[in-house]
Amino acid sequence: GQEFQFGPCRVEGVVLQELWEAFRAMKDIVQAKDNITSVRLLRKEVLQNVSDTESCYLIRALLKFYLNTVFKNSLDKAADSRIRKSFSTLANNFFVIASKLQPSQEKEMFSTSESARRRFLLFQRAFQQLDIQAAQTKAFGEVDILLTWMEKFYQ
Amino acid sequence: HIAEDTSDLLQHVKFQSSNFENILTWDSGLDSAPDIVYSVEYKKYGEREWLAKEGCQRITRKSCNLTMETGNFMEFYYARVTALSAGGRSATKMTDRFSSLQHTTIKPPDVTCIPKVRSIQMIVHPTSTPIRAGDGHRLSLEDVFSDLFYRLELQVNHTYQMHLGGKQRDYEFTGLTPDTEFLGTIMIFVPTWSKESAPYVCRVKTLPDRMWT
Repeated sequence: GQEFQFGPCRVEGVVLQELWEAFRAMKDIVQAKDNITSVRLLRKEVLQNVSDTESCYLIRALLKFYLNTVFKNSLDKAADSRIRKSFSTLANNFFVIASKLQPSQEKEMFSTSESARRRFLLFQRAFQQLDIQAAQTKAFGEVDILLTWMEKFYQ
Repeated sequence: HIAEDTSDLLQHVKFQSSNFENILTWDSGLDSAPDIVYSVEYKKYGEREWLAKEGCQRITRKSCNLTMETGNFMEFYYARVTALSAGGRSATKMTDRFSSLQHTTIKPPDVTCIPKVRSIQMIVHPTSTPIRAGDGHRLSLEDVFSDLFYRLELQVNHTYQMHLGGKQRDYEFTGLTPDTEFLGTIMIFVPTWSKESAPYVCRVKTLPDRMWT
């Protein structure tokens, strides 16, 4: 079967297509709520030209942020049961991936992890510049940008 | 001040995308709208400035080709239309966030079906897109979608079909009866994006077997 390979970090047992199907079920609703079209959180500077070794640090930071900050109390706002099911699929899979990622903590990887951290901070600062509600909605609506990037590491 | 309802001027502003040909379309709420002109703007998601689309300013038709302007399939775009009536009423409406990678539909493949005595060969031709690579050459659908594959079916009779499939472009259904008509259908699939084309259909007759005549 297919697996994620974020550099040295491998994650099996996640079907990317299921994540896409879950997000598609709520994409139009979520993205329609985001009317700040002039701000993009997952900008090119965050995701472009990420090295394999860097990718494990970056994806782990992003997924943990999504789980702890973006998805948090979103479930109770999802009134529509179809959305709730899709939302759970997405959150559960993000949790599985994040928990399986074990980036190296060795000293010589410091510069790589630092580079990933700087990228993540770009995303986090852009998030924090918005009202929390608007920021959560925007980040939620950008899951397709995240999945498109994750797909490069899905083999 | 009660905002004037101008929804009759402009409705359903959306992208229609097929094989990465991205056309912006809209409707007027009125049955006939001879005196309304439309102007189109677009931008990348995340950018502030709206850009006017040349060639789609103060037009009366209800579509505009934005293929070149939305040509980066890894990007996300918005477009908006402003309708202006002769009486000075106006309305502006925006599309949903658009990504051609996610939204484009796949047209039926272009196929050559070649009948032989006891087989039918099917050659699928690559489908080029308007998307250009860095060196300027046009990308094909196969270039864009790494998991694209073809599924071929040959209807032999009411109850029996033969199936072939894969990523290659040359297929042959063998072991057929000479001088007999068959119906072939060929479709494109892109699993990751849950895309599936409408079928290309070819009706062909195997050649008579001259050996026995």
